[in-house]
Amino acid sequence: MSKKTILTVDDDPNIRDYLEAVFTDHGYEVVTAENGDKAMELLATMRPDLITLDVEMPDKTGPWVSRAIQKNSALATIPIVVITGHSELQYIIPKAAAFLAKPFEADEVVRVVRGILGE
Amino acid sequence: MSETLLLVDDEEDIRRFLGLFLADLGYVVHAAANGEEALAVLDEVDPAIVLTDIKMPVMDGLELLKRIKAKSPDIEVVMISGHGDMDLAISCLQNDAADFVTKPINHDILDAALKRIDEKLAMRRELRQYTQNLEKLVREKSSRVVELERQLAAGQMAETMCQAISGLSADLGEGTGYFNEMPCFVAVHNASLEVVATNQLYKDRLGDMVGRHSWEVYAGQALRGFDGPIWKTFETGKGQRCRETMLCKNGNELPVMVHTSPIAATNGKVELVLEMAVDVSEIKRLQEELRVTQQKYMDLFDATPCYIAVRDREGTVVANNHRFVEDFGEGVGRACHDVFAHRSEPCPDCPAALTFADGEPHYHETVVTTRDGRQRNVLISTAAIRNAAGEVVEVMEMSADITSIRELQSHLTSLGLMLGSISHGVKGMLTALEGAVYRVESGLRRGDISRSQAAAEAVRTLVGRVRALVLNVLYYAKSRELAPETVDVAAFATSMAQTVAPKAAREGVLLETSIGADLGEMAVDAVNLQAALVNILENAVDACVADTAKPAHRIAFRISREGRTLVFDIEDNGMGMDQETREKAFTLFFSSKGLRGTGLGLFIANDMVVKHGGSIALTSEPGVGTHFSVRIPETSPAPVEAVREASAS
Repeated sequence: MSKKTILTVDDDPNIRDYLEAVFTDHGYEVVTAENGDKAMELLATMRPDLITLDVEMPDKTGPWVSRAIQKNSALATIPIVVITGHSELQYIIPKAAAFLAKPFEADEVVRVVRGILGE
Repeated sequence: MSETLLLVDDEEDIRRFLGLFLADLGYVVHAAANGEEALAVLDEVDPAIVLTDIKMPVMDGLELLKRIKAKSPDIEVVMISGHGDMDLAISCLQNDAADFVTKPINHDILDAALKRIDEKLAMRRELRQYTQNLEKLVREKSSRVVELERQLAAGQMAETMCQAISGLSADLGEGTGYFNEMPCFVAVHNASLEVVATNQLYKDRLGDMVGRHSWEVYAGQALRGFDGPIWKTFETGKGQRCRETMLCKNGNELPVMVHTSPIAATNGKVELVLEMAVDVSEIKRLQEELRVTQQKYMDLFDATPCYIAVRDREGTVVANNHRFVEDFGEGVGRACHDVFAHRSEPCPDCPAALTFADGEPHYHETVVTTRDGRQRNVLISTAAIRNAAGEVVEVMEMSADITSIRELQSHLTSLGLMLGSISHGVKGMLTALEGAVYRVESGLRRGDISRSQAAAEAVRTLVGRVRALVLNVLYYAKSRELAPETVDVAAFATSMAQTVAPKAAREGVLLETSIGADLGEMAVDAVNLQAALVNILENAVDACVADTAKPAHRIAFRISREGRTLVFDIEDNGMGMDQETREKAFTLFFSSKGLRGTGLGLFIANDMVVKHGGSIALTSEPGVGTHFSVRIPETSPAPVEAVREASAS
């Protein structure tokens, strides 16, 4: 069985590095994007199994990315895990599969992702 | 009738007996002893006849005759003489004596003489009466004629007017008595500048002026005959319109608006002038009220402790109050965003634009810069100014200066806001630390040393960021006393450069440090001043990273000494700042870095430099770069309490 792919969207390089290391260590293929435009660019050529999405990013924010995904029927069913430091912002993305508050531990991320992917 | 007679004789017996005889004849008799005495009582007695002896001491009869005739030629003088002297008699008659009687006096002759005189007096009196009567009659008749002429003219005038007005008003219903009922003072004047006719209101309020001079009704009338509106109308043949003051019957002055209209005869000559005066005292009172209201409004406009500017749809200021002009200069004719925010483009969050769009009031808090460079926190409230059609034509912006409130808040209630604004940063940093630690561990677990090394480097940077943030928060949350210690300036500067070097290297920014010779030692709060300067240096790195236009970036960090002042120059070729950003740079909670900045860094850096008695000069240009010049004087830093008191007062 081929590896499952996760798209990680976050403007903080430290967070991208962190999530990439965690997902790679647990057997996932990881693609990262530092902003909304880059994420949509990648989604035009691939269909990941799960997306982790930061809410606060300059320019194209998490909600913008989420709406863009929902509008595209080919992508609309991809589960999105919202990651943000603002717990009050979790509901800003309506169809999120899960919400992760910063700061988080590696085990927690892995447990949430595995739960969503039914592993 | 009984005539008054003055009897003059120096002999008392003659005066007595002759007096009795004359009284019997019906005369009112007065007596005098000589000519002088007679002249003295002449005016008082006012005799019709003087009967005088000729030969008298002091003044004789002939002299008295001359004097009386010179003074009152109508008095009839009868001369009495003891001598039948013909020459004397002729001399008396030449001097207009009425008669000449010789002594001893023959009663019959005297009686006859007096009768002739009486007849003469009666005739003369009658003649005078006739003359007087005739004059009076002529006067009466001619004034009657003039009166009739006037009445005729006024009657024609009034008739014509009434006809005109009746005709005009017939359609409206009531048509009678309009001339008299007109709510203004109407008068007709003739060319002799006399009032010929007036309406009832004129008569009631200004008095019966018919027959009087045209200018008498005007206040300050002395010269009005020659410059009043009536005269002008006759002179020019054109209707006049002017403000005048009329005198009421009761002496009060009444402001009026006078209109005159010439009425020409068929030959084209102005014969009469129609004068209509409207009482404008009510209008005057309303105008005064309006003026007072406008004054009050202007006073309010100017005295309001707010900056008030009224701007049109294009953003041009059309009015501003004193307070606004004081702090921002005359704004009328200039663009609002230029005067108020020193921007070249309209402000993106302009509340006035919203009010133009929806007509509703809007509120906006921002930081503006006065013309002398002070930052003011203002709360702008807008209000629509509509025209008669209800369209928003202008918007008034009232900006309350809440700087002092904000300053107070900055040490009290905004603590919560600060914690909120930085908590996100803290969470992000903690997550990043978590990640870096994870990568160090997983690198070690897998024997991937390079992963561990890279992660360890990230840990060090992140710890530095956490440390700086915590220091800032502590600094802000708790006003710290300065803790001066003597430092070697060169070593102090080197330590700062080393703190920033890894970040600069990671971002590919060249940091050029130039430390001058003989910098010596200095007493400063080393920890906090270093944090302040490092903050500026890190900002310089961020500004370089944010600038994508230039291929390479560098920061020049120079430390030099100018006399007893240390100068730290930090110059980058990053993105630069526009004027608005420059002016707000040191303001609490203002950040040009969006969500990455807390709005604390430069505020604290500036505060710390000021506490050291120093200053920060900032020059910057968008797209070119920024230059911070921090000057620290070589004096012992002022204790914190003193600084706070000074700034609070």
